Amino acid sequence: MKLLSHRVLLAFFWLTGFLTLASVGSLLIFLFVKGVPSLSLQLIFGGADPFRALLLRERVFDGLFPAIVGTTAVVVLSVSWAIPVGIAAGIYLAEFSGQNLKKIFNFSFDILAATPSIVIGLFGLTVAIFLHQHFSDRIYPCLLTSSVALAVLVLPYIVRTTQLSIDAVPHSMRAAGLSLGASKLQNLYHVLLPSSLSGILSGVILALGRAAEDTAVIMLTGVVATAGIPGSLLAKYEALPFYIYYISSQYTDQKELMTGFGAALILLTICASLFVAAHLLKNLLVHRLRKK
Amino acid sequence: MAEDNIKMAIKDLDVYYYERLVLKKVNMVFRNRELTAIVGPSGCGKSTLLMALTRLLDTVPHARVEGSVELRSNDQGWLNVFRLGETDLPSLRRRVGLIFQHPNVLNTSIFKNVAFPLRLLGLSRQEIDSNVRAALIDVFLWDEVRDRLDSPASELSGGQQQRLCLARTLVLQPEILLLDEPTSFLDEDLAGKIENLLIRLKEERTVVVVSHYNDQVLRLSDRVYRLAGNQQESN
Amino acid sequence: MIAKHNKERAAKGALSLALLIAGSISAFIFFFLLYFSLPILSSGLIGEFLTRGWDPDRGVLGILPMIVGTVYIAGLAVIWVTPIGIGLAAFIQLFAPKPLGRILRWTVEFMTGIPTVVYGFAALFFLVPAMRRIFNYGTGLSVLTASVMLALLVLPTVTLIAQDGLATVPSNQVLAAFSLGASRMETFLHVVLPGAWRGLISAVVLGVGRAVGDTLIALMLAGNAVALPDSLLDSARTLTAHIALVSAADYESLSFKAIFVCGLVLFIFAGSNIVFLRLVEKLKK
Repeated sequence: MKLLSHRVLLAFFWLTGFLTLASVGSLLIFLFVKGVPSLSLQLIFGGADPFRALLLRERVFDGLFPAIVGTTAVVVLSVSWAIPVGIAAGIYLAEFSGQNLKKIFNFSFDILAATPSIVIGLFGLTVAIFLHQHFSDRIYPCLLTSSVALAVLVLPYIVRTTQLSIDAVPHSMRAAGLSLGASKLQNLYHVLLPSSLSGILSGVILALGRAAEDTAVIMLTGVVATAGIPGSLLAKYEALPFYIYYISSQYTDQKELMTGFGAALILLTICASLFVAAHLLKNLLVHRLRKK
Repeated sequence: MAEDNIKMAIKDLDVYYYERLVLKKVNMVFRNRELTAIVGPSGCGKSTLLMALTRLLDTVPHARVEGSVELRSNDQGWLNVFRLGETDLPSLRRRVGLIFQHPNVLNTSIFKNVAFPLRLLGLSRQEIDSNVRAALIDVFLWDEVRDRLDSPASELSGGQQQRLCLARTLVLQPEILLLDEPTSFLDEDLAGKIENLLIRLKEERTVVVVSHYNDQVLRLSDRVYRLAGNQQESN
Repeated sequence: MIAKHNKERAAKGALSLALLIAGSISAFIFFFLLYFSLPILSSGLIGEFLTRGWDPDRGVLGILPMIVGTVYIAGLAVIWVTPIGIGLAAFIQLFAPKPLGRILRWTVEFMTGIPTVVYGFAALFFLVPAMRRIFNYGTGLSVLTASVMLALLVLPTVTLIAQDGLATVPSNQVLAAFSLGASRMETFLHVVLPGAWRGLISAVVLGVGRAVGDTLIALMLAGNAVALPDSLLDSARTLTAHIALVSAADYESLSFKAIFVCGLVLFIFAGSNIVFLRLVEKLKK
């Protein structure tokens, strides 16, 4: 009896492995088979001339170019808000704060990390409404509000990886700098940060991927289906993940649907590359620390 | 030297960790009703050797063995330990009991630690009770723990834990007993008692003791192997 | 010397300011949601609001269908993913041949990098038609479809945390069990599993949080009907999807203000998950 139940359980374990590989495999194959044929310059630039479009001399109407530019803009902006604040907060938690302070703030960051992205989007929306009502009626949900809301979304990742990377520096290394008369700040700058840089960087890259894939935050804070290239921080914009969502519910013909598959494949490739890059960096850090 | 007296034979055993050779060309025989000692400086691979003999090295990533280890069965002749399949390993490990240098009590009560291997075998509650009691008496631990069999084993002292681990292996009545520094956590008095226990145990089985204290083991043993670095000599 | 000292203080001040800003955001979000929910919370109708259906045209504003939809879809997803995620973690940690275990671990980590919207998009044209054909009922957009895809989305969270939990059981415990003749399965059941329950609870709780908090899968695959689903093949709407579907045309309308209560419910749920995990960590062995 015991042996039988153990065998059934073991078979189930093998099944979970098989199921995982099969579902991820079929998902990727399905996307590739459907998406690859639609990949072309026309998918991105539509009827426009690619060079003129890249130089922003010609507007792209039926291609993914504005969505790609929009995603790039909102991701870069959001990470530029989140990096200085997040890394600084992570450094303070790792190096300067006492145990109690650490507990309170880590609790707050854990809650922020667990907050559903749609709630963060809602928060971004209310901020936009608030600014609209109290400061300037020119302010609507826009590129700026989206990027700030996305920054809030990725902030806890950056804080945590910074904190963990600095904590992971071996004690001997930390003590070496201090014993040579370095101040805490000098030690941080010359010893701790250089040796935890690749860890922090991998956290930043993961944050980039997280910001690039998120749809729920931006759909409440300023993304639209057609806007062209955003002209300012206060403009509406397009983005790849929202485009994919939009096409999935609003496509009218097969051609539009194929653009959706193309967009899905492009977004998947972007996020997968960011993911692989982050992991290579992380492994680099692990190997370097092991050698020492 | 009668061949039929041999219980386990190690032939040209190499152990690699990554690409590094940590044990080189080990040749040993362990005989029935003998106490064999393996001595050598710490770090020479004694513990690794014992792990290899019970295939526990399988669980160590990047460890690899070459050569052969043969175990004699009463009815089946010789059994190559390295050729056993996964499903045969539990019975191998019941026949060849290994007691680790650092006591590794399970994270349960004192009683359950000793009862664990018997429960796996499906023994009745009564049989388990009496066997556990007998084993704890054998290792001189019964009087110290009889009132608190249900308290966590991790609360015992190092020496008590070491004896508990010995008792836990003895309940299985293994044909070969491999002990890694069995008295390292014990005071002189208890160490002497355990040594006497080992002498008694070897009357009906094969006992192998690994140690880096030369004289203590030499006093007890019928045969001594020395391991030094990745070489081995015997006398 | 004094200049250097001042520089240190200025730098430390800047760092602590950043921490203060970043650390107060979650409290800020909470008060924002609370403030915008006040019109409904203070109207004394909160009980009705949580227990009635949604029909703004007739002036009925209740979020019960969305709460039920969330419980069905996320709950079902957790029922799928708990055994599979923990089983997969055990398989990778203890049972899989080493190369296969490495491939699986890598695959699961890779899954965290796949965009949610891509999961939803692929499922819409792959799983939904299949479900429609298999059950020969409705559009294929249903509680069941969404829960299956949601389970796949949450799988890496559960598996990775569960495996970390299993790995915290000291290797000497595992060796002890092996050396006493325990098979791999016996070692897993009697030694590893009892030692890892805290990690497994974390895995499931964080999985629940991830399932409840996700928007896109339910939005794209569950059909978003504002009615209590009668069966798993019926359409349903989650709290998150309800927020996403709000038309922000009229910021002053009561139906717009209602979504803040949805947000507040989600936020409080996420927060209580974290509190629960802290309590579990504190529990003595």
